[in-house]
Amino acid sequence: MTQDYIRQRERRTGWYLTLPAIFVLLLVYAYPIIWAFISSLFTENLSTNLEQEFSGVENYVRLALDGRFWNSLWNTAVFTVASLIIELVLGLGIALTLDQAFRGRGFVRTAAILPWALPTALIALAWRWIFNDQFGVWNDMLMNWFHIISEPISWLGDPTWAMVAVIAADAWKTTSFVAILLLAGLQSISQDLYEAHAIDGASPWQSFRQITLPLIMPQILIAMLFRFALAFGIFDLVLVMTGGGPGGATEMVSLYIYDTVMRYLDFGYGAALVVVTFLILITVVAIAGLGISKIRTATGEESS
Amino acid sequence: MPQMLSNGWGWSRRWISRWLLLAIAVTAVLVTLGAGAGSQAESVTITFLVRAVEAQQLQLLADQFEQEHADININIIEGPNAADSVENLYTTSFLLGDSPYDLVYSDVVWIPKFAAAGWLQDLSDRVSDDDLSAFLDADVTAGRYQDGLYRMPFRSAMGMLYYRTDLLEEVGAEPPETFADLIAVSEAVQESTDTQYGYVWQGLQYEGLVTNYVEIVAGYGGFWVDPETLEVGLDSEAGINAAKFLKQAIDEGITPTGVTNYLEEDSLRVFENGNAAFLRNWPYVWAEANKEGSPVQGKIALKPMVHEANASPAACLGGWGFGVSASTPHPEAAWEVVDFFTSRQGQKQFALEHAYVPSRRDLFTDPDILAKFPHYEQLLEVAETTIPRPPVGQYAQISDILQRYLSAALTNQMTPEAAMNKAAGETRRVLGESA
Amino acid sequence: MTTTQPSTTPPASEAQGNRIPWQRLALWATVIFTVFFSLGPPIWELLTSIKTNAAITADSVVYLPAFDQFTAEHYIQLFTRNRFHIYILNSLFVAIVSTVLCLGIGSPAAYALARLQIPGERIVLTGVMGVTLFPYILLFLGLLRLVQFAGLANNYLALIIPYTAINMPLTILVMRSFFQQLPKDLEDSAKVDGYNVVQMLWQIILPMTLPALVTTGILAFIFAWNEFIFALTFITRESMKTIPVAAAQLGGTSLFEVPYGPLAAATIIGTLPLVLLVLFFQRKIVQGLTAGSVKG
Repeated sequence: MTQDYIRQRERRTGWYLTLPAIFVLLLVYAYPIIWAFISSLFTENLSTNLEQEFSGVENYVRLALDGRFWNSLWNTAVFTVASLIIELVLGLGIALTLDQAFRGRGFVRTAAILPWALPTALIALAWRWIFNDQFGVWNDMLMNWFHIISEPISWLGDPTWAMVAVIAADAWKTTSFVAILLLAGLQSISQDLYEAHAIDGASPWQSFRQITLPLIMPQILIAMLFRFALAFGIFDLVLVMTGGGPGGATEMVSLYIYDTVMRYLDFGYGAALVVVTFLILITVVAIAGLGISKIRTATGEESS
Repeated sequence: MPQMLSNGWGWSRRWISRWLLLAIAVTAVLVTLGAGAGSQAESVTITFLVRAVEAQQLQLLADQFEQEHADININIIEGPNAADSVENLYTTSFLLGDSPYDLVYSDVVWIPKFAAAGWLQDLSDRVSDDDLSAFLDADVTAGRYQDGLYRMPFRSAMGMLYYRTDLLEEVGAEPPETFADLIAVSEAVQESTDTQYGYVWQGLQYEGLVTNYVEIVAGYGGFWVDPETLEVGLDSEAGINAAKFLKQAIDEGITPTGVTNYLEEDSLRVFENGNAAFLRNWPYVWAEANKEGSPVQGKIALKPMVHEANASPAACLGGWGFGVSASTPHPEAAWEVVDFFTSRQGQKQFALEHAYVPSRRDLFTDPDILAKFPHYEQLLEVAETTIPRPPVGQYAQISDILQRYLSAALTNQMTPEAAMNKAAGETRRVLGESA
Repeated sequence: MTTTQPSTTPPASEAQGNRIPWQRLALWATVIFTVFFSLGPPIWELLTSIKTNAAITADSVVYLPAFDQFTAEHYIQLFTRNRFHIYILNSLFVAIVSTVLCLGIGSPAAYALARLQIPGERIVLTGVMGVTLFPYILLFLGLLRLVQFAGLANNYLALIIPYTAINMPLTILVMRSFFQQLPKDLEDSAKVDGYNVVQMLWQIILPMTLPALVTTGILAFIFAWNEFIFALTFITRESMKTIPVAAAQLGGTSLFEVPYGPLAAATIIGTLPLVLLVLFFQRKIVQGLTAGSVKG
């Protein structure tokens, strides 16, 4: 009897303890999304002093024909996929090779965490300087150290190279971070498994495929999912490094939304952009989530 | 066991709670202060935002004003050097409310948006038409929006063509009048002398690119957007030809390929180092290129931009002026500042000191000014050919569209025709949606 | 069973007893690559920040400044002309307050989710993890309107509240996993002694999870310090801006020029606190991140 009463009181207290957190989360996360859905049904543009008026799906029709939106979506997709792949492959490679004991390991870990910890906006400034076509150190290294090119490349002035530069900057920021995470996962794999496998005559590559990969797959997938969402919404890096240029070649969806609202004062349309971006993100995540749970059941993992 | 623990950890628990209480108290105090922070000075402070380099130059006038007005202080905040960024800063501050700015140091093209959004005070009651007639017409018009006056012109600017007198003499050519002439003379100079480039301008994807285009499309007899009818002229023959001309200049080597990354400073550097025959840029180039140690000192002249035979030359109007924020707590003091800066005395001093172009007509022929800058009489000619960029509320949007597509055409991402056609389509959709 | 080797090298060669040299070589190559790769850009910024303008824009790139190319003028300029100390204080204030708030709100919630089996626990957890997927740009529009209506422009609350929310999921997840690892007997005997939940949490549990609080606090501090889009939008008063925004908006001393020297100096100053944090707390940071992300 008393046990149940205590249990009930505990649960109630638990609710009270959780409520502030839930409130803050709802306020900052749920309210804006809901508001965007509602607001996208209206036309409101301060720069023409337009009062808010109901316009139904008009904003969405305009969105469908908006070349700049689809272009930015494409850029975002390219950026996201490219950086994800690079970060995963590079990160995994680094993690695998570092998965040995050596002196100075702590130092390497510290160095590897640094890129992730630094403010993206400031690092974007650094990268803009490094990729400067006249005084940039990267051009100088390519020309005078590695002798790969003879003329300086206008990194941020060329549409393709600008995208490469932005992806490189993002890879720089995140690869080491991914490596550290995967390394932690790798180190939780028992050595006995490898030894037993080796005794059975397996090559390192086979060990990797049959032991390592399946065991860290959950980590990889979760990390990639979060990385995807982050890359999809990339803002600071691109704004400071290229501003979306040249010619909109590096303009991401986030930049377009920001411009629409803050520069054009076109609120209704901006809300529609937010809604569509949100829906696209949700869809991709849902598909990926389904895929992940399928793989997990296949490898016999229990969902925690 | 809990007892033992609380003894062992007791110090840390108390330590935590003390620090936490302190943190909360400090937070509460600071947040309240932060919310109320702002203007608590006895004397009035008028604040506005200016690009960093010009902010330092305006300080001269601000100091004078403060000397004459003991109870008004001027706080000029330094902003980034790109005009777009400064516009965004102003926009954000007004949009959010609680703007720290009393005045807006405004470019010519910001007024429709700011006025439409209700962020500026109508100044028509403060100046008579007589007073306004002392300013250049185009500059005054730039400050108008739907029957109201929202900006007092301070300094003007116009795009023009600079050229190397010595190089033209060497190849025996007259200063070009048409586009074809420009190309021909450039090629001649590049061939006969060891000058690397013919015609240099600003091709980066930013507002400067648009100002280049505006002059050229007018030179072909076309237009960008008609403010009365909201008709779009980008995909007309003139519009496309203008884009093609710029592309052609790059393709034929008259213009450096790096031009798609050039701001005003970059193009000036090429010209100043003697590597180009023609430079399209703004008035400040004269003083820069003629200063001591410049390789082209004394060898340059200026003229209105080239045009087709059946069109007239056009100079893109630029320049800056003052608007008064609608939400300023000190409208009277703010107006005093505006009046001072835009007065004849204020503009004359600023022009003499920093070689900027005034917006008052009689200053162009003022003896003191002519003594220092004899070319200002020529400038007046150019000033009378200025054309505005479309004064529509969605200017930022259509400018961004044109910038993007022009830049895409110049960097070989699409043909000039395709670029202009798409730009026109999107511009129409943007303009068409307003009531 | 075979004796476990003291080092944790991957398979194959181990069983044979000899380390293949190329494996060791690959290791060191990777180490050198990782270190240079990670430290390269910050070090370059550091070098740029102490070079004179002439050295920065010299025709051939100056790597290590010669004696006459050293200068502290960029840093001096930052503090005299641009009053950078103000921005540092602003960033510190916002980051510390939001961190404290986040821990204060998040830890109890984490405990409740770990031990108290509240109704709807699954939903809350899924929701908490789900929101980490939201890009901030989607939130900023709605929050902008909120700030307008509530008149929170140029009020640090406009930053503190979003930062608290943004750091909440990580806080909850990390603290929850720590709480779950605590032995239950502690709480059981506390209950026997008559402590109620809140007292127990405050007086007993929290002190034990101090290391976890520090870890989470550091992570929250880093995120808050680095945040850009909200700081860019919601604070328009110059004197209230945070470091990333102020640095990105630095103007130059000549028309149309980008001030590379002062920008580099601003970058170094803006990242220095974080570098120090990482230096001293590297282990904890990694712990916290792996705990937060490994969780299903």
